[in-house]
Amino acid sequence: MGWALKLSLVGLVVLAGFAVYLDAVVQEKFSGKRWTIPAKVYARPLELFVGQKLSKDDFLTELDALGYRREAVSNGPGAAAVNGNTVDLNTRGFQFYEGLEKPQPVRVRFSGDYVAELSATNGSKLSVVRLEPLMIGGIYPKNLEDRILIKLDQVPPYLLETLVAVEDRDFYSHWGVSPKSIARAVWVNTSGGKMTQGGSTLTQQLVKNFYLTNERSLTRKLTEAMMAMLLELHYDKKEILEAYLNEVFVGQDGQRAVHGFGLASQFFFAQPLSELKLHQVALLVGMVKGPSYYNPRRNPERALERRNLVLDVLEQQGVASAEQVAAAKKMPLGVTTRGKLADSSFPGFIDLVKRQLREDYRDEDLTEEGLRIFTSFDPILQMKAEASVNDTFKRLSGRKGSDDVEAAMVVTNPETGEVQAMIGSRQASFAGFNRALDAVRPIGSLIKPAVYLTALEKPSQYTLTSWLSDEPLSIKGADGQVWKPQNYDRRSHGTVFLYQGLAHSYNLSTSRLGLAVGVPNVLKTLGRLGVTREFPAFPSMLLGAGGMTPIEVATMYQTLANGGFNTPMRGIRSVLTADGEPLKRYPFQIEQRFDPASIYLIQNAMQRVMREGTGSSVYNVLPRTLTLAGKTGTSNDSRDSWFAGFSQDLLAVVWLGRDDNGKTPFTGATGALQVWTSFMRKADPLPLDMPQPDNVVQAWVDSRTGQGSDANCPGAVQMPYIRGSEPPPGASCAGESPASGESVMDWVKGWMN
Amino acid sequence: MNKWLIPAVTAVALLSGCSTVQRGSIPVVDSGTAVSNSERISANGGFRQTTVKRPAQAQTQAIPQGDTGVVVMVPGGAAASAPISTSPIVPGPASGGITPGPYNPSAVESAPISSGSYSMPSTPSGIPSASSGGGLSADEQLDGPVLALLTTAQQQQAGGDLNGASSSLERAQRVAPREPQVLYRLAQVRMAQGDAPQAEQTARRALTMANGRPDLQASLWELIAQAREKQGDSAGATQARQKAKVSL
Repeated sequence: MGWALKLSLVGLVVLAGFAVYLDAVVQEKFSGKRWTIPAKVYARPLELFVGQKLSKDDFLTELDALGYRREAVSNGPGAAAVNGNTVDLNTRGFQFYEGLEKPQPVRVRFSGDYVAELSATNGSKLSVVRLEPLMIGGIYPKNLEDRILIKLDQVPPYLLETLVAVEDRDFYSHWGVSPKSIARAVWVNTSGGKMTQGGSTLTQQLVKNFYLTNERSLTRKLTEAMMAMLLELHYDKKEILEAYLNEVFVGQDGQRAVHGFGLASQFFFAQPLSELKLHQVALLVGMVKGPSYYNPRRNPERALERRNLVLDVLEQQGVASAEQVAAAKKMPLGVTTRGKLADSSFPGFIDLVKRQLREDYRDEDLTEEGLRIFTSFDPILQMKAEASVNDTFKRLSGRKGSDDVEAAMVVTNPETGEVQAMIGSRQASFAGFNRALDAVRPIGSLIKPAVYLTALEKPSQYTLTSWLSDEPLSIKGADGQVWKPQNYDRRSHGTVFLYQGLAHSYNLSTSRLGLAVGVPNVLKTLGRLGVTREFPAFPSMLLGAGGMTPIEVATMYQTLANGGFNTPMRGIRSVLTADGEPLKRYPFQIEQRFDPASIYLIQNAMQRVMREGTGSSVYNVLPRTLTLAGKTGTSNDSRDSWFAGFSQDLLAVVWLGRDDNGKTPFTGATGALQVWTSFMRKADPLPLDMPQPDNVVQAWVDSRTGQGSDANCPGAVQMPYIRGSEPPPGASCAGESPASGESVMDWVKGWMN
Repeated sequence: MNKWLIPAVTAVALLSGCSTVQRGSIPVVDSGTAVSNSERISANGGFRQTTVKRPAQAQTQAIPQGDTGVVVMVPGGAAASAPISTSPIVPGPASGGITPGPYNPSAVESAPISSGSYSMPSTPSGIPSASSGGGLSADEQLDGPVLALLTTAQQQQAGGDLNGASSSLERAQRVAPREPQVLYRLAQVRMAQGDAPQAEQTARRALTMANGRPDLQASLWELIAQAREKQGDSAGATQARQKAKVSL
């Protein structure tokens, strides 16, 4: 008797001690930050304003990606109604770096490819509206849970009622465990001899997922029950329910475990949780019982059956009316196709973002702190870039060897220096070797603008109409090797205007010019254009023997496109903390590297590449009113096919080549330029229009001789010169036209030129 | 009997050692401290300050030094230039003539008021900017989105939120990349942020877009002068002030 008393006393002490321990565990974890959240990466938000160049189709693509519901009348956040050229929508609102964008009803009217009207639904004009940004990926460690944290007031109607009705009817009355359901479970289990029936309350389920392992044993069950009661002791039902909503496991996405209804809603429906309707709520709650068994993507019939069963329960419990349930049952499952959310969608760009982030943050900060990363990524341009690569390869598939050719592409906004799209592999969704950032390949003739720019910076010696010899040459290098460049067509072109050497990509005249201005000076120009890579000052550098990555080429051409101002490439705009507090900005930075006048001239020559030179096939597809500038590049034996070029608002670099550096069937013009052209046709950019610097003059010259001419002389054309370097004006051509008609002729010629 | 001792011993161990919870016993790691600007400023990947830091690059670059980015290099200083080529000009056999084409015709007629891409000719969306535009002169009035964003930026700047202001101005820049007033305001914010080199560079970029807008040019030169003074370049500042006078 004494022994028994002592034993039970010891037992009580042990139990009490255990309870104290468990209580510490319960409180420690529940009171602190409960979850680690991977950083989320967002695309640029789409801005809406009158006069914006945006087609209705592109706008609707964006709305679809953001999970807007198409309805007859837009009547709540995340809804859109399309009526002819007018789209009514209710934006969702978002916390940006600059502040909160409020959710609001908006009417957008399109005219052609422009936004013609932007107003609130009451008719008052709105000057600028931002949609919420598309989430394009996250920074996940391997094998980690991911979630979008939600608060109780963000849940849609029916969710809590459905959850309680299906999983734990006594939730609001029990103290963590439900004796009724335990008794039922014990009876079922003992009579069946197996532990199959669960009597778990929501609290117990939370405890199990949150604190314990998946082991099935009586001691674990007892621990779970004790912890559940302790949790209920310290926290109210609302807190427990909120934690449950965020903790519950609802599916697996590759290595990423999808936790919580917030992420589940985005993962399955591409919509915020708050917008879900009854049938969607029923599906999510139904899946809790077996996320993989009831996976609506893999087992749609099972999932549908389960959903409808849940709906029946709701009707029985009086949560929803019979009509509501009947209507919900008629709805399809409504899950999106896979992969919208995972970071596998745009691996090239996400790779760029990660690299930029790793310069500033530790890995743990990126995978745990729930940072929000705002980027310049433009999903519409990315889709168009991917489509251009695919279309072009399809079109050129007849060429022998084209199957082994890989591709890379970088798309930027030359006016802001922001990267908008990136393709690191011909299979754009394939995460792996990112050729846009890592493939260092000879750039061939892409270097030539640097050669000509070096010359044009000396207006006393060189203008666009200076004469260059395109005769063969050979020079002996320091190592005794003889360098003997050749033209692509293996012919000499005699004497040519300077700009023609660039437009037609003549190697002989370019080599002569480069040697005259000095190879080291050309390399200096390259450095000023933004290329940080070091090259040896060999003559072969003049024809692009040096290797660069597509993103480096984009940096170089960016400076040419942006009036001689260099802007470091940016993919990230700003970073917010999980709470929406501003953390870091990656500001626009700019630095003048060249006199705008010399840039104006090189742009003119690069426009002529497109009009009359190696890039002229672009105008078989694009209208001649679209002024573009660019340059083809082809390395020896067509191992690399390059094109880099720009409009006013869009710059793109395309590389095609083989990973094993083998020969391809493409030159810059027949390969990369075709992708580029296809992209520009889809993207429909603004024509290049650099303001003429005030030290540039337009002079009339004879198109045959380059000598000064008069506007009314036959063959007279206008060319730009840095002031003081233009040829002296030529004499008026007598008897050409009567005085009265002169001004009209001038006007016509000015317009023609 | 022995079996009863095991939980007892365990309990004692727990009571003595585990009043604080072992981290390893928790399936999900609590990540502890919050992310903040003020912490972890360390060399290897810690957080940096939000303020802009950059290497002193402006000075080292081979920009034509002197008053402006617009340096005219006249051969031999002679106003009447010599012919480009001294040799008799004989076009090469394969060389065609210069092809006329529509190269930048519009540049010559440079529009007095913003020809930025945001303004759509057919639908004037102009919101009168007389009072709210922040003291803009008549030829410097802006319309809808740009005006709205510049106003927001101005409010943010007035409230001391320079990062927010600069962020809003970059937003305006994306809306109207060729509107020099946006860059002018951005340059002003850079000055307020203490970043004189970027203020100067941004103002220079604005100047290349401000053809035919003398008031704005004068303001930009004045800002460049201040930025140069801040950088200790008093000669450059004087030159910029002269330019400001010429512009007006």
